[in-house]
Amino acid sequence: MNQAPVSCIPASKMSKAKKVIDEAKEIQNPELDLADKSISSFDEMPGLFNMLNITRLTLSHNKIQVVPPGLANLVNLEILNFFNNQIEELPTSLSSMPKLRILNVGMNRLDCLPRGFGAFPVLEVLDLTYNNLNETTLPGNFFMMETLRALYLGDNDFEFLPPEVGQLKNLQILVLRENDLIELPKEVGDLNRLRELHIQGNRLTILPPEIGNLDLVSSKSVLKMENNPWVTPIADQLSLGVPHVMDYIRTETYRFLYNRHIAAKGPVPPKMNDKTRKLSRARQQS
Amino acid sequence: MPGIDMSLDNMFCSRCGDGFEPHEKIVNSNGELWHTQCFVCAQCFRPFPEGIFYEFEGRKYCEHDFHVLFAPCCGKCGEFVIGRVIKAMNANWHPRCFRCQMCDKELADLGFIRNQGRALCHECNAKAKAVDLGKYVCHKCHGLIDDKPLRFRGEVYHPYHFNCTACGVELNSDAREVRSRPGFAANEMNELYCLRCHDKMGIPICGACRRPIEERVVTALGKHWHVEHFVCAKCEKPFLGHRHYEKKGLAYCETHYHQLFGNLCFVCNQVIAGDVFTAMNKAWCVHHFACSVCDQKMNQKTKFYEFDLKPVCKKCYEKFPSELKRRLRKAHEQTPKKMPL
Repeated sequence: MNQAPVSCIPASKMSKAKKVIDEAKEIQNPELDLADKSISSFDEMPGLFNMLNITRLTLSHNKIQVVPPGLANLVNLEILNFFNNQIEELPTSLSSMPKLRILNVGMNRLDCLPRGFGAFPVLEVLDLTYNNLNETTLPGNFFMMETLRALYLGDNDFEFLPPEVGQLKNLQILVLRENDLIELPKEVGDLNRLRELHIQGNRLTILPPEIGNLDLVSSKSVLKMENNPWVTPIADQLSLGVPHVMDYIRTETYRFLYNRHIAAKGPVPPKMNDKTRKLSRARQQS
Repeated sequence: MPGIDMSLDNMFCSRCGDGFEPHEKIVNSNGELWHTQCFVCAQCFRPFPEGIFYEFEGRKYCEHDFHVLFAPCCGKCGEFVIGRVIKAMNANWHPRCFRCQMCDKELADLGFIRNQGRALCHECNAKAKAVDLGKYVCHKCHGLIDDKPLRFRGEVYHPYHFNCTACGVELNSDAREVRSRPGFAANEMNELYCLRCHDKMGIPICGACRRPIEERVVTALGKHWHVEHFVCAKCEKPFLGHRHYEKKGLAYCETHYHQLFGNLCFVCNQVIAGDVFTAMNKAWCVHHFACSVCDQKMNQKTKFYEFDLKPVCKKCYEKFPSELKRRLRKAHEQTPKKMPL
């Protein structure tokens, strides 16, 4: 499906995208590949919203800043990929798309999500990696997405994760890599289908003992937890391997240590990640 | 008639005892004489219609009164029984009304057996007794079948009444009934074979119940199955033509295959039927193994980078901001190499 290389620089930016669209229309291709086409606006893709048959729309590596609400017209869309654009805001209408299963808005400039964003009826994979989101900018119904099986929030600015995360009963993958997390809610232990948990590169010192309810050490599971200022007993176990950590946090000894640690309210570790150079902050710098 | 005095002086009415007037009409029946007005029913004192009367204990009755007084009533239809009366089960019966209470056969000439207040023919009595004992009655000799019965054309028999259609050997209960004309629903075409001959005939045997398959045959896992016996190894529900998934010589329904072996494509979340790409704790079907950033399809040979345990093609990775690439590189170097558990 590789695009034939275009030798000359197109006279109009429109032509590259338009060519793909016209071609897709002609052969009734339901999957539209528009990655890296120097698109900066939906205006360069005339007629796109009338292509009701399309099931996948890939627009990664472009310069799109605004997503028009009319995109929700594409009622058969199952996969929508905006990775690496310059989107600052998403329209509420996206959440009503009846068949959307995979939404990738990774590597954009999102500071917040629209009200009611969590209304997606069948969303399974939500990728919000590398944006500027935190717990205060999530809409109230964010964790109502019961169909969600993978949630990517790596490279954002969360310090806390709302306890409502426990409502995502079908969640198998939760990525919180390189945020500013100070602690994890014990409700993460309710996600009994979880088989991938990425919490490396945060400010975590302890884990709620409820995490011990999860099966994160089987051959089909992953727990990534490096680069946190763990309390010494956890750090010691981690140097032996993740299974040792999981065994340890299930012990009475740890439960005692955890409760004492919570009661003591020790100092919060400083932020570890310097994010000033993050591309998602580009706008704020300019 | 010589020797019999026929003069009026010696003749008297059998009823009133008086003599007869000359020229008077005299009724003569079996040598007895009556005045016409005296020759009447002993019950209703009326002449006998059409001269027909019934005699009982020396008295004569019209048909109606005789029935009313003396004829038995049938235990079944409630009508008078004239002619042959069957006395049985403390009642009277017309011969055609006294029947076996199971098979309705007339019992008058066959004899009957009383079985729990019922009149039964010998066969039905044997059957009833067999049912009570949990046994079968041979349809041919009507004897009880003590060992395993042989089922043939819808009835049960002692196996030794039959011989193998092919080799002629006397049959035992292992014998098999075979539809000689496949497709005929009625079983009057069926034939019996001994087990040896039957095995030689190449009739498929169900892998589950070990019995021959005479209807639709399902062929799977290198065996034959009755449609209803080809079931999911986990939930034991028959597939009934639905797709099944094989693993280590067992078949599973879609739900339980996925539940047990978890080969769901990360993108379409469907059970992967054909080739599977397995990497980074996930699986993909051939159609959906693609770069997670640009959605371009990849194959076994495509080089890709790992980003949050998702595949990223080289082209896309190179477009990542350098500060992210630096962090990823650092994390990669720090990752503890696989440790023994």
